[in-house]
Amino acid sequence: MDLLNGFVALANFVLIPAIAYGSQLALGALGVTLIYGILRFSNFAHGDTMAMGTMFVVLITWGMQALGISFGPFPTALLAIPFGILGATALVLLTDKYVYKFYRAQKAKPVILVIVSMGVMFIYNGLTRIIIGPDDYRFADGERFVISARTFRDMTGLEEGLAVRTTQVITVVTAVIVVAALFWFLNKTRTGKSMRAFSDNEDLALLSGINPERVVLVTWLIVASLATVAGVLYGLDKSFKAFTYFQLLLPIFAAAIVGGLGNPLGAIAGGFVIAFSEVGITYAWKKVLTYFMPPALEPDGLVQILSTEYKFAVSFVILVIVLLFRPTGLFRGKAL
Amino acid sequence: MSDNPYQDDRGNKDASITNPHGRGTLTSSGTQPNPMPGKDGPYLIGENMTGGYGKAGPDILHDCTISVERGEIAVIVGPNGAGKSTAMKAVFGMLDLRHGRVLLDGDDITALTPQARVRHGMGFVPQTSNIFTSMTVEENLEMGAFIREDDFASTMEQVFELFPILREKRAQAAGELSGGQRQQVAVGRALMTQPKVLMLDEPTAGVSPIVMDELFDRIIEVARTGISILMVEQNARQALEIADKGYVLVQGSNAHTGTGKDLLADAEVRRSFLGG
Repeated sequence: MDLLNGFVALANFVLIPAIAYGSQLALGALGVTLIYGILRFSNFAHGDTMAMGTMFVVLITWGMQALGISFGPFPTALLAIPFGILGATALVLLTDKYVYKFYRAQKAKPVILVIVSMGVMFIYNGLTRIIIGPDDYRFADGERFVISARTFRDMTGLEEGLAVRTTQVITVVTAVIVVAALFWFLNKTRTGKSMRAFSDNEDLALLSGINPERVVLVTWLIVASLATVAGVLYGLDKSFKAFTYFQLLLPIFAAAIVGGLGNPLGAIAGGFVIAFSEVGITYAWKKVLTYFMPPALEPDGLVQILSTEYKFAVSFVILVIVLLFRPTGLFRGKAL
Repeated sequence: MSDNPYQDDRGNKDASITNPHGRGTLTSSGTQPNPMPGKDGPYLIGENMTGGYGKAGPDILHDCTISVERGEIAVIVGPNGAGKSTAMKAVFGMLDLRHGRVLLDGDDITALTPQARVRHGMGFVPQTSNIFTSMTVEENLEMGAFIREDDFASTMEQVFELFPILREKRAQAAGELSGGQRQQVAVGRALMTQPKVLMLDEPTAGVSPIVMDELFDRIIEVARTGISILMVEQNARQALEIADKGYVLVQGSNAHTGTGKDLLADAEVRRSFLGG
């Protein structure tokens, strides 16, 4: 019974939150890795692209809620996602047209584009704060739990409860669908293959008649959609705050680099590695360990390796370790 | 190097923020999508070409003329640094021509971008980075046919008949193949557009002598289907043996021109550069 309780506590406090968080990071990291593979620079504006996309969704969700539109047990935000994607797409395409395109025409070195993306990041950052404000906003509605801790305890008679929130289930299901669609697109469609070809060898792609501007356009479309979906899932799971999204940049980059930049499979693996490490290292293990250990060995402290304030340190440390021992990432990076 | 400040990365080598892999280096002298109609003459000719890399670079080619007839094999040979590859790139529009022009089937294509030349029936196989290494052999061929709207299955079948090994390895990543097989993929990819002229930049560089003979045989077969071949070769003797026309370049100018057999028999060519 103790073991079972231990597993339930572990699932409730570590596994389920980490899987949901990992899915959100994976979607974010996929966007970063696509830009890296095709436009060949690290897009520092990605966190704020997520913030802008999510902001559109939040505003439209509020509008829908005011009009009395709801999606039954599901969050209304899911209905607003397509509009948010449209907004984010318009935003990145305008940015590309008026900012990045100039540098492409100059054949600017990627590191210049990295700096440019930082400028874009600050602009998005400010725009989000001007339009929606710098505070914490909640926009999740609908049914809160699939299984609440109390129901689970009543059902099983265990001491520990297992709560599964609707947003966590939605996050994982959406992530699976989006990732499957992305992989199908990259591997099976003509446009997707042309994107991989462009990423692999730009000159040869040009000689094969692939239009670089079209590849770039499609890439931005996909990246804007991924960023919006990732941002909304994160916002539903926690809450929407412009600064938090800016901070998400670090775990997302860590995920993309750990997995191998430019490799979509790696981005997903990296997302889960970072999420599990972050949750695992900042979780107070006392409760779970008590179930697994004989009473004599019961730990005195909380067995929390780092306090949650330091969760970004975890991403950093993993990043440094991977760059030291396996610079190309867990999966072989640098090609789509 | 370049005086464009945007192209100065101050020695950045950090691959965790910038992707060094597969960046475009293709320079194009052309700007226009369509050729100017011209006169009759050889099928493809680069006439009196003078030029070098970049707007201000020194001239590498001096009044150099290269031409090839329908279904013929023309070979450019010459010592190291003679401008062989440069002459080929000039014909393909990757070089600023200061004088001279390029005619394809009588039409003036001097102002065309390399991409536009591909659409007008020229296929080019660069010496290096000539395949998509991360993609399968079949995907490489598909990408070769990217500009084609029609069904290209029969062309792919022809390529597989020409290079049977590619059919066997069709699902394998092209980057995992041997040097000779990679060259076959590269030539196959260029053939997928159904070009009228195929330009090969040192197709046998870095492959073993047996594979080299095999590749030359395949190239002859391609020429027999009516495709003109323009080829730069290091292995001058073997290349001239299969050539209908040979050009010996020395310091960017035509030194000797003739049929392959003539050049092989030419005492001066033999002495100065075929080694006796």
